[in-house]
Amino acid sequence: MGSTEERIVAVIMVGGPTKGTRFRPLSLNIPKPLFPLAGQAMVHHPISACKRIPNLAQIYLIGFYEEREFALFVSSVSNELRVPVRYLKEDKPHGSAGGLYNFRDLIMEDNPSHIVLLNCDVCCSFPLPDMLEAHRRYGGMGTILVIKVSPESAYQFGELVADPVTNELLHYAEKPETFVSDRINCGVYIFTPDIFTAIQGVSTQRKDRATLRRVSSFEALQPANRSLPTDFVRLDQDILSPLTGKKQLYVYETMDFWEQIKNPGMSLKSSGLYLAQFRFTSPHLLASGDGTKNATITGDVFIHPSAKVHPTAKVIGPNVSISANARIGAGVRLVSCIILDDVEIQENAVVIHAIIGWKSSIGRWSRVQASGDYNAKLGVTILGESVTVEDEVVVINSIVLPNKTLNVSVQEEIIL
Amino acid sequence: MKALILVGGFGTRLRPLTLSYPKPLVDFANKPMILHQIEALEAIGVTEVVLAISYQPEGMLNFLKEFEKKLGIKITCSQETEPLGTAGPLALARDYLVDGSGEPFFVLNSDVISEYPLKQMIEFHKSHGGEASIMVTKVDEPSKYGVVVMEESTGQVERFVEKPKLFVGNKINAGIYLLDPSALDRIELRPTSIEKEVFPKIAKEKKLYAMVLPGFWMDIGQPRDYITGLRLYLDSLKKKSSPKLSFGPHIIGNVLVDESATIGEGCLIGPDVAIGPRCVVESGVRLSRCTVMRGVRIKKHACISSSIIGWHSTVGQWARVENMTILGEDVHVGDEIYTNGGVVLPHKEIKSSILKPEIVM
Repeated sequence: MGSTEERIVAVIMVGGPTKGTRFRPLSLNIPKPLFPLAGQAMVHHPISACKRIPNLAQIYLIGFYEEREFALFVSSVSNELRVPVRYLKEDKPHGSAGGLYNFRDLIMEDNPSHIVLLNCDVCCSFPLPDMLEAHRRYGGMGTILVIKVSPESAYQFGELVADPVTNELLHYAEKPETFVSDRINCGVYIFTPDIFTAIQGVSTQRKDRATLRRVSSFEALQPANRSLPTDFVRLDQDILSPLTGKKQLYVYETMDFWEQIKNPGMSLKSSGLYLAQFRFTSPHLLASGDGTKNATITGDVFIHPSAKVHPTAKVIGPNVSISANARIGAGVRLVSCIILDDVEIQENAVVIHAIIGWKSSIGRWSRVQASGDYNAKLGVTILGESVTVEDEVVVINSIVLPNKTLNVSVQEEIIL
Repeated sequence: MKALILVGGFGTRLRPLTLSYPKPLVDFANKPMILHQIEALEAIGVTEVVLAISYQPEGMLNFLKEFEKKLGIKITCSQETEPLGTAGPLALARDYLVDGSGEPFFVLNSDVISEYPLKQMIEFHKSHGGEASIMVTKVDEPSKYGVVVMEESTGQVERFVEKPKLFVGNKINAGIYLLDPSALDRIELRPTSIEKEVFPKIAKEKKLYAMVLPGFWMDIGQPRDYITGLRLYLDSLKKKSSPKLSFGPHIIGNVLVDESATIGEGCLIGPDVAIGPRCVVESGVRLSRCTVMRGVRIKKHACISSSIIGWHSTVGQWARVENMTILGEDVHVGDEIYTNGGVVLPHKEIKSSILKPEIVM
């Protein structure tokens, strides 16, 4: 063909409402991919990262949400970043690789030389241009982004063993009980179009096996043998694991930050990581102020242009994010929190390690706080949409569902 | 004749059930809560019911249209844009309630269930000739509520005392009123309390009369009272020898079973159980003091007491569900699981036991 123009297509898996309820109560009001981190929707971050790839032709978002839930966002982000973004709804679960395969015709329409696959709910620096270059050097079918974690925490993820010189993937174990490796799968991949052949291979193999094999009743009870539908293909167990050691898969290690955003507490932590990243990549997005004309700002803080912050408020970072039309009153102190749209925080209130839901109202001298332990169930206080905390009330380590009014103090409670 | 039902807002006290349906449409004794009241009103000749709401969720209007057709009664919604308290919504709905005929209109509180002796209330209202009549009910612990102090023989109301510290009486406001249109002139379109502002004024002019509610009364706005309320309601069905109650060797006490539900062999059901449409209760199941909503499957040998099982949920084999366990819509309790007071939000699977009361999100 002789064309030097290599086109890249990116695919971001955004999941869906039936998959997991761990993001409640925030997911009661908004699809998780659209929840704002550092002032931008969760899925906006990987989309911006894709934009940095030269010759990016198209971005597809694949998920189980209704199309209308993403319509507004998709058109606005396409406009803003000047890159075609399209949302595709899966009709039924196909597994992490099956979903990709399901839309292969659309993905291959632009004749891409490479496909970037990302999971929406990871918080990452997404070093895609460098990773793509490495992938080209390796010359394999796929390159997986990995990061080093503490050996004690590695069991929660997919553990990868790679050749230290060639970076070839030698072994893959999904959530192993014993220690295999401290390099884990970040959920960011670059593939050549051969990935579709590999996925089809698994599908066909399964079909053949289903018709040929007769298992003993004992065998049939073993979890590994429980037959999955032929078009349900998991990327990690069904594609990556069997291809290790065959000079097809390679790893690329990132030294930057990485987190999985499974629960609301982690979204607060991730918001902080992105704010810190803005300090280097886009400092103009962060707020500043010294208490004379504007409120005192310390650390990395995002304040939406339409939000109103009283000059005597002390917005302390790192990690405060204030969304559109929020009003922060005089003498308010904010530390490590996400304040969502239309929230009103009245005079002298204090908010520490919390997420304050849309349209909520925090009364004068009230205190909304938590321990800040991102992994604890009640480690970050979450107020749902339209929650009112009355004057002088204290809310500690609690979760409050939408439309509630708190007129007495609470601690360590979930309020429905 | 017209009526207003104070529906209110989000029904947060009845969560997780109200996360799936708006409160008026949550089933009680196999019928949407609001239908109990609308049917009682329709039975005594009310032709138009106004629902005073502060929040109108999608789909509620469709349900209401269905009821309109089935019962041949007009149902309209009056939606407040800011909280108007317990009297303000009446002013907001004024044009629906006043038609120039001078007829009095009913005001009901949507969380209340009772026998609704509305015909007797009309006669009582005519006989005393006052401007307003209210139903009161006798309770054991009056200081939890607003107490109505009245003259025993005539029922004329002397005063209201909110949560009295010393005993002043044991009759509380049952949330059922019959008002002359002139009462509306006393209510401004602003946040107003009917008990604290409107009724005391009418009582001062000696125009407010109270009638003791015959039969049972319950505010079923929260799960514990919902379960007690079912017992009272089924008890009243028993007293009327209602054919709706089930009988048989596998039934103890008062039990309501929808005709489309199936019950397996060797079960023991009751007392105080309601089983909704298309439920499947497999063999060897024990149910007592519980509500099983539409489309639920209870698997073999399970045991459920003092709990509410939400729409389309399943309870696994040999599971034990008790002590105010509330399962939201589409919750699946695994085989052999024990739940003691678990409150589970919709679309969850319970794969490990809940040993003490806990909210599962």
